[in-house]
Amino acid sequence: MAIVRRRRTLAPEPSREEGDGYRGGDAFLLASSSRDAKEVTLGRTYVFRSLAIAVGALSLAAACGGGTGTQSEQLATDQTLSFPMVDDIGDIDPALEQAAVDVNLFRNVFSGLYKFDDQLNEVPDIAEGMPNLSSDGLTYTFKLKQNVKFSNGDPVKADDFIYSWNRAARLQGTYATVFQPVAGYDDVAAGKATQMTGLKKIDDFSFSATLVAPAGYWFTEVALWTAWVVDKKVVESVGDSKWWIDPATIIGTGQFKMTARTPKQSADFESVPNWWGGSTGTLKKVHIEIVADQKAQLTKYESNGYSLIGFANQSLTPEDVIRYNSDPQLKKQLTLQPAARTNWIGYNFCEGKGQPVKACTTSSVFAGDAGKPGREALSLAVDRDQLVDIACSKGTACVKATGGVITKGLKGYLGDNTDPWAKFDPSRAKQLYQQWDPTGSKVKNLVYTYNATAQNKAVCDNLASQWKQNLGISVQCASQDRASFFNARNVCGYPIFRHSWGADYDHPQDWFDFLFLSDAGSSGSCYSNPQVDQMSKEANAQPLDKSLDTYKAMNKILVDNCVTGNLFYGVQQYLVHAYVKGAGGNPLYDNYWSDLKILQH
Amino acid sequence: MRGTVVYVGQRLILIAVTTALVSSIVFVLLHQIPGNAFLNETRQSPEALAAALRHYGLDRPLPAQYLDWVRGVLRGNLGESLVNRGVQITPLLIRETSVSATVGLFALLVTVGLGLLLGVIAALRQNTWVDYVASSTAVVGYSIPSFVIAIFGLLIFGHYFYIWTQGTVYYDPGWGDWTQVPVPAVALGLPYASYVARLTRASMLETIRNDYVRTAWAKGLSARIVVLRHALRNALIPVVTILGPLITGIITGSVVIENIFGIPGLGKEFVTSILARDYNIVIGVFTFYAALVGLANLTVDVIYPLLDPRIRY
Repeated sequence: MAIVRRRRTLAPEPSREEGDGYRGGDAFLLASSSRDAKEVTLGRTYVFRSLAIAVGALSLAAACGGGTGTQSEQLATDQTLSFPMVDDIGDIDPALEQAAVDVNLFRNVFSGLYKFDDQLNEVPDIAEGMPNLSSDGLTYTFKLKQNVKFSNGDPVKADDFIYSWNRAARLQGTYATVFQPVAGYDDVAAGKATQMTGLKKIDDFSFSATLVAPAGYWFTEVALWTAWVVDKKVVESVGDSKWWIDPATIIGTGQFKMTARTPKQSADFESVPNWWGGSTGTLKKVHIEIVADQKAQLTKYESNGYSLIGFANQSLTPEDVIRYNSDPQLKKQLTLQPAARTNWIGYNFCEGKGQPVKACTTSSVFAGDAGKPGREALSLAVDRDQLVDIACSKGTACVKATGGVITKGLKGYLGDNTDPWAKFDPSRAKQLYQQWDPTGSKVKNLVYTYNATAQNKAVCDNLASQWKQNLGISVQCASQDRASFFNARNVCGYPIFRHSWGADYDHPQDWFDFLFLSDAGSSGSCYSNPQVDQMSKEANAQPLDKSLDTYKAMNKILVDNCVTGNLFYGVQQYLVHAYVKGAGGNPLYDNYWSDLKILQH
Repeated sequence: MRGTVVYVGQRLILIAVTTALVSSIVFVLLHQIPGNAFLNETRQSPEALAAALRHYGLDRPLPAQYLDWVRGVLRGNLGESLVNRGVQITPLLIRETSVSATVGLFALLVTVGLGLLLGVIAALRQNTWVDYVASSTAVVGYSIPSFVIAIFGLLIFGHYFYIWTQGTVYYDPGWGDWTQVPVPAVALGLPYASYVARLTRASMLETIRNDYVRTAWAKGLSARIVVLRHALRNALIPVVTILGPLITGIITGSVVIENIFGIPGLGKEFVTSILARDYNIVIGVFTFYAALVGLANLTVDVIYPLLDPRIRY
């Protein structure tokens, strides 16, 4: 992003009429006649005016010390952004990155053909414009800008992209499936080949990618981190699994580069000199500290040790965010940004061993049409205002979900208050429940399981309390450590459970393919609906402008059948000092570091 | 002297065996827990999970994994972090041990220095207001858990001092500067200083009533010589006895203190690696802790003969 540097200008020298000073000087010496008196008056006026101008100029000069900028936005000399993280970086290699924390940091170091702007629109980055798509919807032709360079000065060519994409497919990181639609991916993923046959170099600055079947969502995935380009020369010379260990060899095309890293302690970045895209913004350095305790983070923030808290998906403790949100002065530092994450009550849809999907082992009381009244009753019995107030720090950590499973602000969202089961209706809930389970046998010893976090515990406790109050049923809360919880949930081991999904990108396919299709890997519910499967297949093949209505219709099917008990959407908290400008983010990402500047303070 | 050397050699072998045993037990137990460090709620394909397990050798049978690990340990290589890819565990733990040792050493100085001072003063001024103040201070000290002292320390020295001194003198959480050592060290060492104070007082009271001390007073020796050269040396033996468990307490107490103050030490690593199910680091941390506790106790045993020449190995 180009920053216009304004030159500091002083007020122009007052134009002095010839003889003014001399006349004024004479006036002071020769004030003996009326003419002289007039001259004295004029002289005094001149002196006062000159003094005033001089004082004004001096004041302006004093105020302008320390950096460039307009008079109201004086930049600090030290343009170092500092912020904490609870845990260290997981993966630096774009082919292996999976955590939102890592993506948020390294989108400033690496880049790809396309990126998402602050409004989540996909825009060209290294690519020269949008790709050409063949008439059959299978072949994308990408052209690169010809001035792109890595931070070590190496030029970026089509070979680097082809190498990077093949490498990502070969290494099989969590997000390698970004390239699944590309011809030849399966062989590379299975280790039978090293190159995807669908990737072809056209010339030094263009290449094509041919898919096995039309996939309208694939262009969105091309903007993800797995498709970032790495320097083939560096990776091959230093080593495939070593090049990202030493900051000196972490070579990307972004505006910043890593300069130092002490594992589990700190990481430092600096802006890339002579960056190919022009200006890298105002910030020169970024310093990150690994501090596990949120209280210690806040103490240091309040003593100006950190510029902000919240970047890289960090959050505040509930009591601290409530404190800041309740104080009119402190509230000015707090920004609550809707985040692309939905939490819901997951129900088990198993109907017997291997039914409706192979992961099923037993039948669930919540499965199918027979279980629908139970699902509806549990959902209607929850007052989400109360839930959000209690479990989400008085609404500062989440907002109630009323528009379906896709988070508000993302494509596919159905609209506010379109989920009829998200309304609080205890009398109808009780009626539905009593019709469904008059003897109470279906919910006897029912356990709601969640992975252990403070928020999940608070949610479960509140749900159990509301179900007891509004339905008269006792549901136990059971917490598990994260890995054990996912291990069991992924094989549909729980009757009801906590589920959530953080969108990886703004496309409904990201939700359905992994959560609601038959045999979806992250389902946890073993939900299976052939109609949804078919609609998904059709929608996935088309570009989003043609398929969005289909995705919405699929979302409506989920809502109408109460497949999920949608509870709340996430909120990202940013605590930012007044002298830090440009900090914040969109539902998926923090703002680029190049958007920020530090004012004098 | 020869006996002490042989004794130390035998103990070192025992420490090595104990450390190996502890590490092996932890290794086996950790691998019995269902799931692994790579399970998450994102779009992980079976191939991606298999690739991750293969990279770390976790797809091999447990005995093969154990042998690989033993071979690595014998070469000084504890492996790579499962969660923070590329982070080598041995240099990480060595660095974190040095951080913890710095804080621990300061804490030990607080413990022993303050504890001895309070204990000696209380004993010499028995049943006076000095004794009552010192003893009460000790009681208060070991009644308050170290994490409570830590939180108050953070609040007062980190937050309020910043406000009172307008940002000129205050405690800055984290690590990188010697000024970040005293507050966590005091929080860690203060409860144990109270134990030492009480024990020193009792031991001194017994020692100063001995005939040889009375003789020293009668000879007209100065108070400093009587107390430091004659009485304290013998009074220290019970204190040194608890030094071993005390150091162990400081080591384990650092788990909480390091987390509260944001210190990148072994204690903080212990907590985060367990929560993240980073097997390799957990085993490494247990290995380091086992060795540290063994060496701490050995150090205490070596100090005994220096205090009391009658003690020989």
